[in-house]
Parts: sequence; C-alpha cells; structure tokens
Amino acid sequence: MAMRQTPLTCSGHTRPVVDLAFSGITPYGYFLISACKDGKPMLRQGDTGDWIGTFLGHKGAVWGATLNKEATKAATAAADFTAKVWDAVTGDEVLTLAHKHIVKSVNFTEDSTCLLTGGNDKVLRIYDLGKPEAEPLEIAGHTSAIKKALWCNNDQQILSAADDRTVRLWDKNTKEAVKTLAFDASVSSMEYIPDGEILVITYGRTIAFYNANSLDLIKAVDAPASIHSASLHPEKDFFVAGGDDFKLYKYDYTTKEEMESYKGHFGPIHCVRFSPDGELYASGSEDGTLRLWQTAVGKTYGLWKCVLPALKAWWFNISK
Amino acid sequence: MSSGMKTPVSVLRLPRGPEPNSRGFDPTSPRFIALCPTTLPSSSSSSGSADEEEQRLRAELRERFLRTLLLMTGKRVRFDMHEHVRVHARFGASDIDVLNLQVCDLETPLGVQREALLRSQDVIACSFEV
Repeated sequence: MAMRQTPLTCSGHTRPVVDLAFSGITPYGYFLISACKDGKPMLRQGDTGDWIGTFLGHKGAVWGATLNKEATKAATAAADFTAKVWDAVTGDEVLTLAHKHIVKSVNFTEDSTCLLTGGNDKVLRIYDLGKPEAEPLEIAGHTSAIKKALWCNNDQQILSAADDRTVRLWDKNTKEAVKTLAFDASVSSMEYIPDGEILVITYGRTIAFYNANSLDLIKAVDAPASIHSASLHPEKDFFVAGGDDFKLYKYDYTTKEEMESYKGHFGPIHCVRFSPDGELYASGSEDGTLRLWQTAVGKTYGLWKCVLPALKAWWFNISK
Repeated sequence: MSSGMKTPVSVLRLPRGPEPNSRGFDPTSPRFIALCPTTLPSSSSSSGSADEEEQRLRAELRERFLRTLLLMTGKRVRFDMHEHVRVHARFGASDIDVLNLQVCDLETPLGVQREALLRSQDVIACSFEV
C-alpha cells in the first residue's frame, strides 16, 4: 500500500538555513550541523533531528558548517570574517581563524588535523589545527568569491567552486590548479563522494556528475526549476535535489528519471544531503527550517513508524 | 477509501527543538560523559599539576563571577553595551548559561521599561555600588 512521505520539521533557526552537513557514523549515531543566517549554527542528532546544542560565538551570518567524521569537532564559516573550530561534544569554541573577508566554506581532512577554508577574498587557506598560530598555506587563483572548497583524493587535492563560474582541482603540495571546469552559469553547490570518486555539481537547472579525479562528465540531468543543491545516495541508486520552487526532487541515478517530488518547505531549498547510512536526507530552506525525509517511505526508522493499516486504529488508541 | 489516496507515514513524535535558555550540549548525555575528561581532580602527574593549577584558577574566577552575580541582585546596575549604549536598571537574575539578564526599571531614552531582558552578548561591562 502506497504511503505518503511525512517530513520531520526541525525548528529553532530564525533565519534561512544555508548549509548543512552530516558526520560519519559514530558509536553514538550520526549527527547533523546546520549553518544559518541567524549566526547560531546548531548540532542535531542525525536520525531524529533532535536538537543537541547551539554553537554560540559568531557575530554574523554563518554561511558554512561541517563536522569531522567522529562528530567530535565542528567548524563554521561566517560573515564576521572568521572561521571557527568547536568542540562538538561540549559546544565550546576551540579556535577562531581570522580572515580578510566573509568566509563561506570549511572542510576538515579525514583525520581532522587540517581545516580548509574559502570565501569572498578568493583565496583557499589550509590551517594546521595542531599549530593554529602558524600562517595557513594559501592557494590563490580564483577571480571571484569562493563558494565551496572540499578536500578530495585522500586529502591530497582540493576542489573549489567560485562565483567566477569555475570549478578547479588543485594539488595541495604544488598549490597549482591541475584542472579547471568552466560553466556558463554560477555553480550553486558541490558534493564530493570519496567512495567512487564522484563530484556532484549543480548550476542553473542542472545536476551534473563528474569523475572527481579527471573532472570528466559522467552524466547530467535537468530539473523543472533552478536547483541550489543536490546529493547522491551512498549506494548511488538515487539522488535528490532542491531549489527555487520549494520542492525536493528524487531521481533514479541510473536512468536519470524523476521518481518523486515532495512539497513541504515554504521557501527555496538551499542545501540537501543524504545521511551517511542513506536512510534519510535533510534539506535546509529559506523558510528557516530543516526537514528530514525518508529514503524508503513508510519504513520504520528514527521517528518514523511503519504501521500496518489493519492495526492502525488499535495503535492510535493504545498510544494515547 | 478512494484508490490513489495515500496514507501519511506515522511518526512517534516531532524532533525536539532548542531549549530557550540554554545552549544545550547536555553534560549528562552518554556521549558527553564518555568523551569529556573528568572535571574531578585526579591523582597528580607531572603534566597534570599545570592543568590542575589552571583548573583551580578557573574555578576560583568562576566562583568570583557567580558571587558577583549574587551580590548584584536587587541592586541598581550600570550596563555598558555595544554602540556606546549605557543604561541603568535593577538587576534580577541571569539564566543558567548567562545568555540573558533579567532586569527591572530599565532606563532607556524611550522611557523606563518595567521589566526587560538584556542579551548578555550585547553587554560589555556592568558596574554597581557594593
């Protein structure tokens, strides 16, 4: 029997949610961090959306947020010209890294020893978190503000997307651009899938998949509306995308066919990501909320409960 | 039931939202207890004594701060805030994470506010007569 998707709404932010990231799977489950224009990034339990804590300290809109794999550290990028590193267990601020302009993106290496930042001053910076007073390594080249910067290829290379309509692949050691992709529209988002070396890029209405090493195009799909973010399922059977028309689209990765679309948000969707176990995906919107969506609608998982139709009335009665 | 009408998936409850007066990160949660070093003084080691000294000083400063808050209760306090704002009010209490300060009779250019809440992050300094 067909079930209708019930998204779980996570409230708490008071302004648009512009970025979100999941941790890896830890002994305590997995976690979700959200970046918001209200300046207060929040940590949530990944499978339920329950609020755990708010990182207090930024004095401006937070544009980027990330967690390390173990969810012990968090990093945020903000309009107050700083990137901050936090203890994700206590919520304490550990480090403030001053920049010369708005910081838009932060990303940890696999072992969490280095932090990559990028922002409006067009320069990529690599900080050694063991030596925070040392000057960061700088990589220049982009001619416009950097939107997203990610480690790739075992943290030996860096992928960056900027408002100059390029995506560049850099070698961390030589600091040279190994490859450049040029687009005729601004790249709205980028996701790197290490297992399989796939890069997901969105621009205009297009969701495109590239080989992360060669930057060769694998395939591209056009959506009905302008897309701001997309995410590929860990098993690479679906991908989801959201953008200007407030809807979330689910596509079959192999056939490129649109499978479903979901309404729910009251504003454009800025970010969407699959959880590390692929059981759900989270979306952040201009409407100030995060919503959690099931990959397999109707399955018992997290706060969703599969209730067989014949037992439904009985279950409602006993649950009161 | 008409065909084509789907039943919405049931949920146990809604996700829990933020607490209004706390920044969260519950110290009694299993993850916190497992991953955070104990705050109880342990048997001293050579590197431990420097940490212990710092811990002792921090505890002392914290205690002084909390005692100052207690002493301030009911008194007329001058708050120096950002943007060259300086106001006087009668201090009531702060919340557990000192995010907000509850005051009475807040004197503002627009008049006296009977009850008000000041955001701690806006306050640079407060002074009062002991």
